Amino acid sequence: MKKNLTALTTCVLAAAVGWPVTAEAQAQNQTLRVRLNADIRSTDPGVNRDFNSDGIVLHMVEGLVSLREDTSVGPLLASRVDTSPDGKTYTFTLRQGVKFHNGATMTAEDVVWTWKRYLDPATNWRCLPEFDGRGAVKVTSIEAPNPSTVVFRLESPSALFLGSMARMDCGGAGILHRSSLGADGKWAAPVGTGPFKLGEWKRGQYLELLRFDGYTPRTDASSGYTGAKKAEVERVRFVIVPDAAAAKAALLSNNLDLIPEASSSDLQELRARQDLKVEISGTMGLNGLLFQTRDPLLKDARIRRAIALSLDTEEIARTVSEGLSKRNNSAIPSSSPFHSQVQAAGHKQDLAEARRLLTAAGYSGQPIKLIATKRYNSLFDAAVLVQAMAQGAGIKIDIEVLDWATQLDRYSKGDYQLMSFSYSPRLDPALSYEMLMGPKDKQPRKVWDNPEAQARLAVATDSADRNERQAIFDDLHRRMLEEVPIVVFYNGADVAAMRRNVTGYKAWPASLPRLWNVRLQ
Amino acid sequence: MRWHANGVVGAALVGMVLGVALVALWWTPYDPLALNLRAKLQAPSVAHWLGTDEFGRDVASRLMAGASSSAIVAVATVALATALGVVVGVLSGFLRGWTDRVLMALNDTLLAFPGILLALALMVIVGANRWGIVLALGLAYAPSMARVVRGVVLSLRETEYVEASRMIGNSATVTMLRHVLPNCVAPVAVLATSMFGWVLLSESALSFLGLGIPPPAPTWGNMLAGSRPHMQTAVWLGLAPGLCIALTLLGINLLGDALRDRLDPRMERT
Amino acid sequence: MLGYILRRLLLTLPTLLLVAVAVFVLMRLIPGDPVQLMLGDMADAAQVADQRARMGLDAPLPVQFGHWVHALTQGDFGRSISDQQPVLPLILERFSVSAIIVLVAVALAVALAVPAGLMAAWQQNRPADLLIVLGATLLLSVPSFWLGLLLLLFFGMHLGWFPVIGYVPLSQDLIGGAWYLVLPVITLVMIETGVLTRMARASAIEVQRLEYVTHARAKGVPDWQIVARHVLPNAFAPTLTLIGLVLGNLLGGIAVLETVFTLPGLGRLLVDAIFARDYPVVQGVLLFTALIYVLVNLVVDLLYPLFDPRVRAP
Repeated sequence: MKKNLTALTTCVLAAAVGWPVTAEAQAQNQTLRVRLNADIRSTDPGVNRDFNSDGIVLHMVEGLVSLREDTSVGPLLASRVDTSPDGKTYTFTLRQGVKFHNGATMTAEDVVWTWKRYLDPATNWRCLPEFDGRGAVKVTSIEAPNPSTVVFRLESPSALFLGSMARMDCGGAGILHRSSLGADGKWAAPVGTGPFKLGEWKRGQYLELLRFDGYTPRTDASSGYTGAKKAEVERVRFVIVPDAAAAKAALLSNNLDLIPEASSSDLQELRARQDLKVEISGTMGLNGLLFQTRDPLLKDARIRRAIALSLDTEEIARTVSEGLSKRNNSAIPSSSPFHSQVQAAGHKQDLAEARRLLTAAGYSGQPIKLIATKRYNSLFDAAVLVQAMAQGAGIKIDIEVLDWATQLDRYSKGDYQLMSFSYSPRLDPALSYEMLMGPKDKQPRKVWDNPEAQARLAVATDSADRNERQAIFDDLHRRMLEEVPIVVFYNGADVAAMRRNVTGYKAWPASLPRLWNVRLQ
Repeated sequence: MRWHANGVVGAALVGMVLGVALVALWWTPYDPLALNLRAKLQAPSVAHWLGTDEFGRDVASRLMAGASSSAIVAVATVALATALGVVVGVLSGFLRGWTDRVLMALNDTLLAFPGILLALALMVIVGANRWGIVLALGLAYAPSMARVVRGVVLSLRETEYVEASRMIGNSATVTMLRHVLPNCVAPVAVLATSMFGWVLLSESALSFLGLGIPPPAPTWGNMLAGSRPHMQTAVWLGLAPGLCIALTLLGINLLGDALRDRLDPRMERT
Repeated sequence: MLGYILRRLLLTLPTLLLVAVAVFVLMRLIPGDPVQLMLGDMADAAQVADQRARMGLDAPLPVQFGHWVHALTQGDFGRSISDQQPVLPLILERFSVSAIIVLVAVALAVALAVPAGLMAAWQQNRPADLLIVLGATLLLSVPSFWLGLLLLLFFGMHLGWFPVIGYVPLSQDLIGGAWYLVLPVITLVMIETGVLTRMARASAIEVQRLEYVTHARAKGVPDWQIVARHVLPNAFAPTLTLIGLVLGNLLGGIAVLETVFTLPGLGRLLVDAIFARDYPVVQGVLLFTALIYVLVNLVVDLLYPLFDPRVRAP
């Protein structure tokens, strides 16, 4: 009785003082507080999404295949995938007894229903072009010969089919139960098979995921989105904190448990704190300097090469990433299995040669505009370094700072001379090159317009022969170093900062946060 | 008596800032744009009186250069706002009728516009440079000036000077120029002084939100914004520009007070 | 009285319409495509165009404007481009956050400023006056977000007394929620007190010199009576106008404070929407703000005669 009274009094006093931190400390074993830098768009996989939305959704839904830790593709809801010899038929054998959030068991019928919905133009699924023939693949039929088998037939073989299925920006083609839709046929909430289900979503403030107690895990070791996943905490609260400095302050004062993408400039400070720890991983995004090869001044390859030669890309990579990333002058990310010795070759700084080329090209100090944005510090910092280094070769660069929307607009129109830009991750080298290459008349955003190279790329996209593909990629890399439509600096690195009592969280090249297998001690 | 003290302190502060701004046009201890990546975020020392920033640039030099930049932007903006405001205010107050109604409707529309939207729009259209800011802020503050001037003109209209001027046959223009305008000088001067302060605050607020004069050129506003991630480890980065803004503003306000005391005939001098 | 109010509201319609058109045009003039932003660097022109068509963004501008105005007349502010949520409830929710902070801060500031101003005026040119004026001037010279940052750094992080991020609505938790508002309110109070004190003092000084005050003094009326009956009401009037202006403009300037204290307020909504080119939200917020501005000034004008008998009641 007395103990209760004391406890009650303490609680009342604490509440009266209004100290949310204490109250939250009591609930800490149940709730993991993770930072989200902006509210998500929707919970519909691959429909009206952005990076943050993908991260949340992929906790709740699972696809037939998904990404392993090394970003290769592995089975998730499928227990095995068989390909026909002609590469046009894929047979997925489903795992048995997998439960949806509403208790129903997943069958082939659910898979077919989900895919029919994805491939329906009315759904507005982001990856529809990848599967309806506009992109690499055309799916001609999807059938369920029995409750545990699904068969996809393609018009022609492609190396990218499974990879596209696993794409994070398409919700991993997560399999849904039809009760995800309301009675009116509109999207309600995701009823998937993932280790978490949707909790409370207070728009603009936070979103909560709750542990799904009926989750059916795989038996193999956890790897990426595949393998054994277990929701160790009862609840994950994604708190929306747009401002990076405020997020850091919150982490330091124990108002947040985890920041999946902390600012690399804070690394030293975060490492020094006893109550925090840090996880680092290279990512598959690409940061670089884009050239407009149709610009009157920059169409001369000598000037482009001169600019490339004036830069010490090792220094840029190291400084901008705070020592976390090394130079990578290839379009293929360093962590990709296709990043060969050839790919490792790149630009070397040579101011004398740069000057020689400039004189030969008749450059007489005309100012060149370099577009950057403050929205992403790395882009801005890189621009500042480029300007300073180019000056060493007598190249005059003016930085023009735009807001992100305007910069993206200029990028998509090709309306710039130089641009400090960053590409979102591409998980297959063919896609990495495809994002850079294309006919500028039809696709003004592409930086590299070389029909011969494009033809080679098309071969690599369709082929399943690894050696053939590697040879083509190596060839493309050599050409890229010659023609300099872009100078790639590095692939980013993620710094995940968390309180010391958070265990099990790993950062990985695909960047998206994964809160399963994560515990609060 | 008191306006003496105000005026002296205010003038001293403003004078110091202007002095530094002038000097910075020719000399600063280091090049404000020179990077030194080996010496990032160093605390104040003999070599760098106010330490270095996240790129190793000398903070003191950047503050000085920032003073020049802010001074130029402030002067240009206030000039623009005053010019526009006076023209609109005089025309509106003197001519009345439809001119007045239309001008004031446009005026109020501009007043209802949040500065940030105007600033973003103009800077994107004009270019992300200091002239974009000048245009944006000038347009944002002109309506206040216009309202004040219009008020003065309205009350002056009925005075004897103006009537006499019209009676002897002077045109509206001449009357406006010779009799109305000179009497506007006092209130305009007072408002303009306050405006310098508002411009300084607005520019730093815009920089804080990610607009404003783009780096690497230093302004106090973008230095303050850039110091935020390092608030705990490098306190001097945020304190220095913030203090500069506060002290400059204090000086401007004190000076403005002194000016008002001096120019406003209604205030008794003790 | 009612007639006056109605007439005032009607007179603002042309201004509101002008604002609506100006905002609409200005937003479309700014380069940057909300759909492109949504789809990111992976989307090609065809996908972007397709999505734009779905959202009705490819219709000619006058048509889009017409749709928007038509929906407005039915109370429908449209849907946000970013997350398809209806705009008006969003604005109202965010507005309640900003409004609480602003109103509480202004009320506290007035409670501090008016007595301070009166005191300074009564003690004009003596030490107390100089101190108050210097204090007020210092307060309004400090950039609001810098003050906010310093307060956050000291009281939030260093001492740990206040939460550093986040927000809990008062409707959900009165005491806990209020804790999140303390620092932002204090920041605003400090700055607005500076502004209002100076104004209160200036008008009080002016009133003091008026004949009926000197007359009352000569008659031997006690000081406090003079202050309460004559000086206070008259000094308050111009301060009231300033309050109106301050309230109207504050909504725009509060965006920085909301960024510093991570509050989901109207200012930040506007800034975020502009950066995301979320046209319906920007248009909605601006229209709403203009409306508030008009209403506040209307209230001020109605209250004015209560304080200044020289001004006739409408």
